[in-house]
Amino acid sequence: MKALRAWTEDRLGIRPVAAFLAKKEVPCHKHTVLYYTGSSILFFLGIQIVTGVLLALYYQPTLAEANASVVRIMTEMPLGWLIRSVHSWSATFMIALVFVHLMGIAFTKAYRKPREATWLTGVLLLGSSLAFGFTGYLLPWDELSLAATKVGTNLPKALPVIGTWLTRVMRAGDDVTGDTLTRFFIVHVSVLPLALLAILGVHVFLVQRHGMSVPLEAERDKIKLPWLPFWPNFLLREAGVWLVLLGVLLTVAVFLAPGIGPQADLMAPAPEGIKPEWYFLFMFQTLKLFPARILGLNGEMIAVMIMMAGMAAVLLLPFIDNRPLERKGKVITGLAWAGLAYAVGLSIWSLL
Amino acid sequence: MSGRGRLVAAAGILVLGFLLAVGLLEARVQEAAQASVKPAAAAPGPEKPAAVRPARERMAAYVILGWVWFSIGVLLWILRLRVREADRVHRMGWVRAGEAGPKRSEH
Repeated sequence: MKALRAWTEDRLGIRPVAAFLAKKEVPCHKHTVLYYTGSSILFFLGIQIVTGVLLALYYQPTLAEANASVVRIMTEMPLGWLIRSVHSWSATFMIALVFVHLMGIAFTKAYRKPREATWLTGVLLLGSSLAFGFTGYLLPWDELSLAATKVGTNLPKALPVIGTWLTRVMRAGDDVTGDTLTRFFIVHVSVLPLALLAILGVHVFLVQRHGMSVPLEAERDKIKLPWLPFWPNFLLREAGVWLVLLGVLLTVAVFLAPGIGPQADLMAPAPEGIKPEWYFLFMFQTLKLFPARILGLNGEMIAVMIMMAGMAAVLLLPFIDNRPLERKGKVITGLAWAGLAYAVGLSIWSLL
Repeated sequence: MSGRGRLVAAAGILVLGFLLAVGLLEARVQEAAQASVKPAAAAPGPEKPAAVRPARERMAAYVILGWVWFSIGVLLWILRLRVREADRVHRMGWVRAGEAGPKRSEH
């Protein structure tokens, strides 16, 4: 065993990493619970990768076979329905946790200097997660997923100059077809995972580089907070959280397994009750609120540009609120609460 | 946020509010006008529920679920013991450090 350890150490040189983890401290304070959200996101990402690979073994991304292959996975493969359900629900849980994680950081102002780059990579990770959800929604190739993708890919068209080109790139043509399905599949299983893992690597490195954020008062007054060793005290606690989350995920996946609609027909009219995934509902409702023309301008374009401005503001938050530690940033907190209330309110409205 | 930043934010909120208000009014007018010419949307076809599977497999899933929760319970109990032990060791370190130096943490 010793020889094996020495052999590994000679080749990988992981002793400094192990020493770093052994010395790593986790501060204990009123926001410590937020630390668990980050590792739980990683936990769900791991489940997504495992179940995604299993589904990809049987899924066929072609016009004729996509829907039928998902039906086969659900009805003929042993526990295929459960694998698909776990994949779908873990995506939901992961995105919900990414939102909670980012909101927690926004409210505690943990994005301020020197953690601007950590925030930027975090928002990019949210964008990647949403892109995963968007591309994955089309893959079952049923009526609702086709209609929702038509609406979703039509949105960039409203943008000036690059809009039409962007829509064509997303759809692999002028309309949503079998080529779109193939493109979405490739993006879902290769482009996005590579991008997400690369951004995640930078994000985790930056978290280790700058250390875990602590409340503003403690950072400002340089108060040494009580702490726990990462190994084993904090990691054991995290393992407990993961176990509970795994139980909840499996229970929800067994009792609320998603079904699948009839195969999409490219020539059929859009069905009633098109709804995107829950995390896009507030954007969907915002678009519904905007009429075709406002004061002579294209209403959809205005709505898309406002939403893009909002996203840019979220991405650049550390540079908008770049005040010193003494300032609490109540305006930003107020705006964050208003944004949250708006998103939740419009999502509920969309469901009614 | 600086005074200018606040002014820009307030102006943005006002413009957004105004656009939404105008949009709501115009949307109502347009919806009424378009209602008669809107093509009939098809009702979505019947969804194939995920529950279409053999009763034996369904039962297997419930058994697995029960077993999973039981295992989680046992593992949580073991983890709790390990956490207590690790915390005790950590506290001992604090106490020793406190005895050695003038400061003592309240952890």
